[in-house]
Amino acid sequence: MILRIVVWSILAFLLMPLVIIVLFSFHASPSLSFPFAGFSLRWYADVLGNAQLGSALVKSLTVAGFTAVITLVLGAAASLAWLRLGRGGRTLLEVLCLTPIALPGLFVGVSLLVLFAQARVQLSTVTIVISHVVLALPILIVAMRARLALFDPSLEEASRDLGASQIQTFGRVTLPLIAPTLIASAILAFAVSFDEFVVTSFVAGTETTLPMYIWSMMRRTVTPLINAISTLALLFSVAILFIAWLIGHLRRRSAVAGRTVS
Amino acid sequence: MKAPRSSMGSLLAAPAVLYMVVFFVVPSLILFVYSFWTAASYKIVPDFVFSNYLNSLMSPLFWTVTINAILIGLVTASITLVLAIPVGYYLVYVSRSQVILYLILITWFSSYLVRIYAWRTLLGTSGVLNTILLQAGIVDSPVGVFLFSRFAVAITLIHIYLPFCILLVVSSLSEIKKDLVDAARDLGASPLGAFFRVIAPNAANGLVGAFMLTFVMVAGDYVTPQMLGGSSGQTTGLLIADQFRKTGNWPLGAAQAFLMFLVSTAIYFAVMGLGRATGLIVKRRPAKKAGA
Repeated sequence: MILRIVVWSILAFLLMPLVIIVLFSFHASPSLSFPFAGFSLRWYADVLGNAQLGSALVKSLTVAGFTAVITLVLGAAASLAWLRLGRGGRTLLEVLCLTPIALPGLFVGVSLLVLFAQARVQLSTVTIVISHVVLALPILIVAMRARLALFDPSLEEASRDLGASQIQTFGRVTLPLIAPTLIASAILAFAVSFDEFVVTSFVAGTETTLPMYIWSMMRRTVTPLINAISTLALLFSVAILFIAWLIGHLRRRSAVAGRTVS
Repeated sequence: MKAPRSSMGSLLAAPAVLYMVVFFVVPSLILFVYSFWTAASYKIVPDFVFSNYLNSLMSPLFWTVTINAILIGLVTASITLVLAIPVGYYLVYVSRSQVILYLILITWFSSYLVRIYAWRTLLGTSGVLNTILLQAGIVDSPVGVFLFSRFAVAITLIHIYLPFCILLVVSSLSEIKKDLVDAARDLGASPLGAFFRVIAPNAANGLVGAFMLTFVMVAGDYVTPQMLGGSSGQTTGLLIADQFRKTGNWPLGAAQAFLMFLVSTAIYFAVMGLGRATGLIVKRRPAKKAGA
C-alpha cells in the first residue's frame, strides 16, 4: 500500500511538468502563471504561421526518416547476424554497441566533428544523418537482440531442408516473423533522431533541426509559443508509442490466432 | 552450395560493424590523437605534447567545474536510483502494469529540451511553483533560488533520467526470481528487509550499472546546468563544448574530454570498491551446492 503511494507520487512527479506545459499551451495570456486566464488556440495559430519552424520541422522529419531507414537496414542485418555468430563475433558486436550508449552525447558529438573536419567534409544534413545513425544503431541492435532471443533458428533450417533457397527462406519465413520487431525498432530509431540535440549541435553546421530551433527560441526568451510546440512534440511521442503498442498488440493476437489454427 | 552459418553471420554483421568502426572508433581515435596536438591562433597543428593535459590539470577552473559536474552527477544519480528502485520493484514483483510502463515510456520519449523548458517554467520567479506558494500565503515574495541553482539543475536532471534509470532497474530486477522474495517473506523478513538482504545483493551488479550509466549521462549533460544552473551551471561538459564551439581550441577540448572519461572510470571503480568494502556488493559466486 505504502509502495503504491510512493510509486504513484513518483509518476506524478514525472508527469506533472508535461501536464503543466500542455495546460499553458492553451493559455489565453502569455503569462506562465496562475490564475488561468482562459483557453485559446492563439499559440497554435502562431506555430502554424511560423515558416522557420515549419522548415525546421521538415528538416527534422527528413533527417529522422533517413536515419530510421539506414539504421533499420544496418541493424536488421546485424541482428540476423547475431543469431548466426559465434562467441567472438557477438562480443565484438556487443562492445561496439554498448560503448557509445554508455558515453555522453558530448563525446560522440565532438569526435564526429573532429572526424568531419579531418576528412574535410562540409557539415550538412548528410553529416547530421550519419551522426544520428551512430546513436540509433546501437540502441536498435540492443532492442532487437532482446526480442530476437525468442526467434527460433530451426524454422529457417526447416525451410532450407524443405528446399527453399536462402532468399526464399528470408522472404517467406524470416522476414514475416521479424517484421513487427523491425517496424518497432525503426520507430525507435526515428524517435531517437527526431529528439536528438546535443550531437546535432556539433555536426549541423548551418542546418536547423526542430530541437535546434526550439533551443534558439529558449535561449532568446520564454515565449508561450514553446508550450504549443512542446505539446505537439509530446502528442507526436504519444502517437509513436501508440503505434509501437498497437504493433505489439496485433502481433500477440496474430500469434494467438496462429496457435489455435495449428 | 550452402554457406556455413558463421560466415553468413559475419557477412550480415559486416556493414554495421564497419559503420561503427568508421564513425565511432576512428573518430574516438582521432580525438585522442588531437589531444596531443596544439592550437595556435585558430590553427590546429599536429604535435606531440602533453601540455593540454597538464594545463587542464593545473587549471583551477577545470577542477572547479569538474568537481561541480561530479557533485551534480553523484547527488542526482543517487536520488534517481533511490526513486527508480521502488517503481522498478513495483513493476517487477507487484504488478506488471502496462499503464505505469507506458506512462514511464511517454516521459522518456518526450522531448529532452521540452522537459528542461518545463522546469524553467515551473521554477521561475513568475512561474507556477512561486505563484502557488504566494497564493497559499506560504511566502510573501517570489522565491528566486528555485531557478538558477543546483536545486533546479538536480530536479530537472532527475526528471530527465529517471525513466531511463527505471527501465535499467526493471531489467536488472527481472533476473531475480520472485520465489526468493517470497521465501524471505515467509521466513519473517519485512518488505524492506527482504529488499536489502535478498534482492539488493543479488541485483547489486545491475543496480550499480544503472547508477553508473545514470551518473555518466548526468555528469556529461551540460545543457541542463547551462539553462537552469546560473553561475553554478558551469560543468566540464560545458567547458569542453565551448572549446569546440567558441574558443576553437579543439586539442584542449579533446584532452579535457578524455580527462572526464578517466574521472568517470575512476568513480566507477571507487563505487565498486566502496560497495565491496561495505558488503553491499557481493561478488557473484558460481552456483554451489548447499553447505558450501
